[in-house]
Amino acid sequence: MSGTRVQANHWATQKERGSFALMKLTAFAVRRLGRRTMQPVLHLVVLYFFVFGRARRNVRQYQAYLAEWSGRAELRPTTRRVFGQFMAFADSLLDRLDVWRGTLGAAQVSLHDPADVRGRLHRSLSGERGQILVCTHLGNLDVCRALAEMEEKVPLNVLVHNRHAAHFNRLQSEAGDRQLRLLQVSEVDAALMLDLSQRLDRGEWIAIAGDRIPLQDGRRVVVDFLGHRAAFAQGPWLMAGLLRCPVHLMCCLKIDGRYQIRLEPFLEAASWERGQREQAIAGWAQRYADRLAQLCLLAPWQWFNFYAYWQAESEGDADASPRRAAR
Amino acid sequence: MNAVIDQASLEQDIARLIIDTLNLEDLQPGDIPPDQPLFRDGLGLDSVDALELALALQKRYGIRVESDAKNAREHFATVANLAAYVASQQAPCAD
Repeated sequence: MSGTRVQANHWATQKERGSFALMKLTAFAVRRLGRRTMQPVLHLVVLYFFVFGRARRNVRQYQAYLAEWSGRAELRPTTRRVFGQFMAFADSLLDRLDVWRGTLGAAQVSLHDPADVRGRLHRSLSGERGQILVCTHLGNLDVCRALAEMEEKVPLNVLVHNRHAAHFNRLQSEAGDRQLRLLQVSEVDAALMLDLSQRLDRGEWIAIAGDRIPLQDGRRVVVDFLGHRAAFAQGPWLMAGLLRCPVHLMCCLKIDGRYQIRLEPFLEAASWERGQREQAIAGWAQRYADRLAQLCLLAPWQWFNFYAYWQAESEGDADASPRRAAR
Repeated sequence: MNAVIDQASLEQDIARLIIDTLNLEDLQPGDIPPDQPLFRDGLGLDSVDALELALALQKRYGIRVESDAKNAREHFATVANLAAYVASQQAPCAD
């Protein structure tokens, strides 16, 4: 546990700062120069991070674990494949800017929603209680806003851990995006829970990332992800249990050049028996990690968590129970 | 005049709320004396239980529990403290 804490490259302190500066520059440049001009520039920037950054090792580890877990040799890391994942990130940055400027049309986005989660969104406009969407950094989250903004009009509160939220809000409003609200959350406290509870009662929805751990909050749970131990946040599940509301998963993957927003129900009634809270949360986190692993196979290069994701081998072995891919 | 009765019935009410909210089915309101500590050695609640309880209190009594850590710990120490806190938060409306 302490090992993860001292890692200098925790995403909340480092990665977002880098990519924020990068994005700010890109946002400016794209507006001035256009996407076509920016593309090679951005590719050069990403090439720089590929060559000199530490993320390359982390991406290689992810690809190796994914290949091993799925038994698919064609996913094993090669320099070309690792670079491919970096380029996919560059591509997603460009797409993000299109989303902000509203130039990514509905025609380029399809919806995969077999259980009609969207129908539930609509119903909360006519008095039903809001629910929770757990998002992931697999794929392009910003495109999900195409859904939230273009048609749905359902107020969405996005909870973020890092302190760059204010910057981010400003950058977004500069880019003409004012629909959704970013709430910076450093810890789960009574005032926040009351606020969220009232928002749900008003029919607003909450979105929170399930695949990143907060910097300060010690509430994390170690689960098996792609065959190895990784720390996941307890936050989303704790919140769902406290607020007693259903949870759905949301991600947006780029498949064959088109975005596909995927919505699926995950947890219908989040509650725990007396004394079973930790077990319940660990169970949901594990099931989430299992589902996330399957989603990774749909878009293997769109895993945009470039920091050290897994526990070092020496950590967390005490409670390790290696599991195979659950099918 | 009936402040004492009110306090007692509010305490009873809060004890019942604690039992219902935290699924302490094997307890009765009478099993939680107003002065028994709710946390650690007392009833053994933890910080997440406190959150759950705060949410329930806020909904039930229409009050807002401030998360000022030091005061919250004091207010949530016992059922009696909670009753006094709820009463004080409701006071402006009572008159």
